[in-house]
Amino acid sequence: MARRKIEEINAGSMADIAFLLLIFFLVTTTMEVDAGLGKTLPLKLDDPPITNPPVPERNVLEIKANLNDKLMVEQEEVQVEELYEIAYTFYTANRINNDENINMPNYNPITLDQCNDQIINYKNQLQTHPGDKYLKNELNKWQAKRELCMESPNKSYKEIAKSAVVKFEIQSKTSYGLYIEIHNILKTVVNDLRVDMCDKMKWDDYYELNENDPDDQAIIKKLRILVPERIIEPKIES
Amino acid sequence: MSKFKKGGKKGIPGVNTSALPDIIFMLLFFFMVATTMKEVELQVTLEKPVANQAIPIEDKDNVDFIYIGFPIDAEEGTEPRIQLDDRLAPDYTVVSLWKEQKAREGKTPFDIVTSLKVDENVGMRIVSNVKEELRDIDAIKINYSADQTK
Repeated sequence: MARRKIEEINAGSMADIAFLLLIFFLVTTTMEVDAGLGKTLPLKLDDPPITNPPVPERNVLEIKANLNDKLMVEQEEVQVEELYEIAYTFYTANRINNDENINMPNYNPITLDQCNDQIINYKNQLQTHPGDKYLKNELNKWQAKRELCMESPNKSYKEIAKSAVVKFEIQSKTSYGLYIEIHNILKTVVNDLRVDMCDKMKWDDYYELNENDPDDQAIIKKLRILVPERIIEPKIES
Repeated sequence: MSKFKKGGKKGIPGVNTSALPDIIFMLLFFFMVATTMKEVELQVTLEKPVANQAIPIEDKDNVDFIYIGFPIDAEEGTEPRIQLDDRLAPDYTVVSLWKEQKAREGKTPFDIVTSLKVDENVGMRIVSNVKEELRDIDAIKINYSADQTK
């Protein structure tokens, strides 16, 4: 019997098929990566307090952006480029020593005894109101603060005033571009300070921290206490 | 002398194209890996602002996108509009309903991040209204979409 030679498969059209697929993917996909600034809006309260406790004027950095995209900080018109410096000073002016003459938020020392007292306090309260989210949150916070004390020299560290806050007011015609620019500047200040803090406390690099890693989570929690990012945005007045 | 020469036509041999599919496949895989599917056909302008602190969104499956910009179709007017999925929303009040309908199995609106993709020239009024709508249903995790670099 004669051996029949097996015909080779014609692969010439393979290229055409691949081309077709390639073109399909080129058309239906985009190159851009989705990036953005993450924010958490304030939760809506069922019964909001009618009066808020007074906040000392020095603890508020007031930023206003108007319909012409002009900026006003603490009653003075400023350029966008100056905002970084202002916000940085707001956070750091009294970091080493409280100077009453500087109209910026004070730093208060937190001691180990204070933490222990508060932890006991909140634990007792939790026994009478088990499952209270606010109490649990506070307890967590104080436990993190306690750890911070333990890690710091002299078992104590300094914390920016509890009511220190950036108040960012906009008008209905303020452009979204400016809004993001300002948020970005405030975020830069906070991130820069957190990077410094990581250096100082000999933690891992801030930008390498992984939110899903338990060890890193603890560091992030502490950083949020040391360099809090508190921005309030009043509703737009029409 | 011409022992090896056998008659017949002598021409330029054809280029071997058997490696061509491999090359094309390689290109194909590159594009499949490096790109993402378009989510929707945009019906509004979207000039994204730049923010160097922006962080890439990793878990895209658990994100809803809201687009706000000026309508591309001139018949829709010149006021900024909201685009939900493939349609322009009549106004901002439908946002909370839409968001609730998009809820995934076993998840509440709170768990799903809402990414706001807004044109940088849009006024804050409409954005602010949308944020209030989202707050009403506790969808408080939001992400302001921005490009990391120009």
